[in-house]
Amino acid sequence: MFKAIIDNLKGLYSLLVGLFITGDFFLSPQKTTHYPRKVDDPETLKSYRGPLELVPADNYGNGKCISCQMCVRACPGHCLTVTKGDKGKEPKVYLYDFTLCCLCAACVESCPTGAIRFSHKVYMVAPTREALHLDLIADLKSRATKIDPMGTKAARLKVAKAEAEAAKAKADAEDAAKAKAGPAGSAGAPA
Amino acid sequence: MELSLLSFVQIIIACLLIIGLMVGNAVIMVYIERKAAGFIQRRPGPYEVGPRGTIQAICDAMKLLGKQLFIPGNVDWALYFLAPVLAFLPVLVLFLPIPFGKYLTTLQVDDGILLILAFAGLGVISNILAGWASNNKYGLLGAARAVAQSVAYEIPMIMALLAVVFLTGSLNLTAIVERQGTWPWEWNIAYQPLACFIYFVSLVGETNRAPFDLPEAESELTAGFHTEYSGMGFALFFLSEYANMLLVSFVCATFFLGGYRGPILDGFWWTFIKAYAVMCVIVWLRWTFPRVRFDQLLNINWKWLLPLSILNLWVTAIIIKFID
Ligand code: SF4
Ligand code: SF4
Repeated sequence: MFKAIIDNLKGLYSLLVGLFITGDFFLSPQKTTHYPRKVDDPETLKSYRGPLELVPADNYGNGKCISCQMCVRACPGHCLTVTKGDKGKEPKVYLYDFTLCCLCAACVESCPTGAIRFSHKVYMVAPTREALHLDLIADLKSRATKIDPMGTKAARLKVAKAEAEAAKAKADAEDAAKAKAGPAGSAGAPA
Repeated sequence: MELSLLSFVQIIIACLLIIGLMVGNAVIMVYIERKAAGFIQRRPGPYEVGPRGTIQAICDAMKLLGKQLFIPGNVDWALYFLAPVLAFLPVLVLFLPIPFGKYLTTLQVDDGILLILAFAGLGVISNILAGWASNNKYGLLGAARAVAQSVAYEIPMIMALLAVVFLTGSLNLTAIVERQGTWPWEWNIAYQPLACFIYFVSLVGETNRAPFDLPEAESELTAGFHTEYSGMGFALFFLSEYANMLLVSFVCATFFLGGYRGPILDGFWWTFIKAYAVMCVIVWLRWTFPRVRFDQLLNINWKWLLPLSILNLWVTAIIIKFID
């Protein structure tokens, strides 16, 4: 009986404490960011996992990727498509399907050269699904033109050429994928 | 009390003013409530519509008016439409004996508080009707809860008010205010702190506000007894809920906080300030405490509030007897 009374008085006191906590919150400044008018300090977004991006090796839009396919194999969602280029080790196609990605970082951890990382793109809007099928090489190039300290016309032309090549390579890859899917489908039908 | 033409006109005007007060109160309280919720959760609350979101509530009301009146199949038509009206109308009567100012009472009745308590019971009937008529299991469950809760919480509420009535020797609300002094330590809250506490807890239970909002617990019953109401039906329930809140706050201000008497200048502004202070505390409670379980709700009432209020009444009666 007395224990129950004491317990209930303690409970009542804890309710009072709760009221003071919310009262304190009521008076303290707000924690949220009013998005279109304000944006977060980029420093606070450092730990945010946005869609993947390639790590630039220099300012000219070159990455560190060696097309070893480790990330492609590690990815549980099959989001990544990496095709080795004709010369050297650089990939000519690096496609990333953000709609399938679970942001697990298996790819980032498995990469031997540290070529990929998570971006901090918080304010991202996609009007269609297709807009989330990202071409990471093009993305890398686009960032390079912005950072490039020697943003000359020649450098921009070079980038544009590389981009055109990447787009063509992408189209090629898609054609190849279609060609691969075509015979498989016709072969599968009669069986 | 003789009903002359003058007093009749007076009552009509007062009723119109009270309806205005109820609607205005709902609009203001929705804004206050949402802003308070925002600030307590450390976000700005309504912000976009009008300067600092001030006309948000009005826009919401407009939207509510324009909404389709959706009637689910198999409802009991008569009761379904009767329920929201029945929720709204008695509240009008409840405001009649409230002394907003010394001469600012719609209807001077000697048994003012009796009138309020008697008609307050009608609100529960509307909840039951709404739950029953809408042919929805959640509605019915909400209605059942509303009955158990309101019946339970009415008892300590009346006991707490009775203690004050003992002190004053009158059921007339104006007389109760007149007996209290101008300063806070001369108000009834200083003489009857326990009764005030009990009344406050049971008014939260009686108006179905969080943490005792079990009849309309969103997470369990979608919306409880008014699940099947849309548009104006819902608006009427909503309006009556806020009007009920306002009413119990006015009664609290009248009984325990000195009504229209205040330290500087007596007048109706004190009633309003006090009532709205009580409302703000209710809102504060809502955004602080989680909802109680139903057995806890009834335990609080039957095991604590009721015995305490009876004890309080006894002690008050004995002390009054000895002093006299
Ligand atoms: S984060 Fe995970 S799911 Fe996303 S691309 Fe990398 S491995 Fe695949
Ligand atoms: S694991 Fe790294 S280096 Fe290998 S293909 Fe993937 S991103 Fe390129």
